Amino acid sequence: MRALEAWVEEPLTTFLSESAARVTLLMTSSGQVVAQHGFTRALDVMSAAALGAGIMASTFELARVMGSRPLGAVVHHGSSVGVYLAAFETPRGRWLGLVVFGGETSLGLVQLFFARLAADLANAAPTAEPPRQVLAEDFEAELNSSLRALFGR
Amino acid sequence: MPLVNFTTREITCKLVYYGPGRCGKTTNLLYVHGRVPEDRRGNMVSLATQSDRTLFFDFLPLELGVISGFTTRFQLYTVPGQVYYNATRRLVLQGADGVVFVVDSQARRFDDNLESFQNLQENLLEQGVDIRQLPLVLQYNKQDLPPDLILSPPDLDDAFNFRAVPSHPADALHGAGVFETLKALSGLVLQRLATRPPSL
Repeated sequence: MRALEAWVEEPLTTFLSESAARVTLLMTSSGQVVAQHGFTRALDVMSAAALGAGIMASTFELARVMGSRPLGAVVHHGSSVGVYLAAFETPRGRWLGLVVFGGETSLGLVQLFFARLAADLANAAPTAEPPRQVLAEDFEAELNSSLRALFGR
Repeated sequence: MPLVNFTTREITCKLVYYGPGRCGKTTNLLYVHGRVPEDRRGNMVSLATQSDRTLFFDFLPLELGVISGFTTRFQLYTVPGQVYYNATRRLVLQGADGVVFVVDSQARRFDDNLESFQNLQENLLEQGVDIRQLPLVLQYNKQDLPPDLILSPPDLDDAFNFRAVPSHPADALHGAGVFETLKALSGLVLQRLATRPPSL
């Protein structure tokens, strides 16, 4: 499991053991990854997050256009795996969860424990920390060299 | 604001390519995808119609390397350019850390460029973002076409670049200007991060 911030780990660990989910991805509503379990490649996680955020964003928008209340969750059910995608509010804004589950659990259990995960995260979120310096002043030389290496120039 | 993980020392930035239909947004991403080593990029995700027009977005994750001790990743998105798809454009634009506005240099597409540029400003404003505060780079694409069909970069600067942001002539199909555009935007986005650190 990988989490952006340490306070996410305990609620997510509990969710994983209780729900028996195969893959879980937590992300911001714009598709930035907050935590994940079950992926092996960071770049694949980003693609899944982009797609999940796109699905939820279009679901919210569709509900708005239809004059309906926001649809909080989407379920895709395949023959061997299911995907549960849901939004929830945290003190850090709206987050999304993408859960892939198989026959060892059920949609009902995933929904049940996901609701608990959302509540646990809302309770565990610390207050915002003051801004921290990220990049050194001379980062541009490193950026240019990284981009040159990336493009083979 | 880019997502920063201080524990694992990672930065993730969302960069969006915007512009009118058929201006070359997807072509930019395809060129990058083709040039960058496989271990430094993910698969390109394209949600397109049967005729290969972008329906929702194209997405390409890139791993840039280590900058100031942070593993830095870019998420490159395109929006659908057709006027019809404004709802999905708005969704893709959410949380963008920087925008490349791809201008189709053909003179006959001038009004389409203008409409798309105004649409960008409106969609950003709807999300509470002032375009003047967002890292923005202009790319004047299709400069390889015959001169009598296109507008020159100085003419396009006069029409679109009233903020004097970086602008680059390009031929995205063959790669000219693609790298320079991405480099300029990533520099602006990281510069902004250096001067306005995120609160977590």
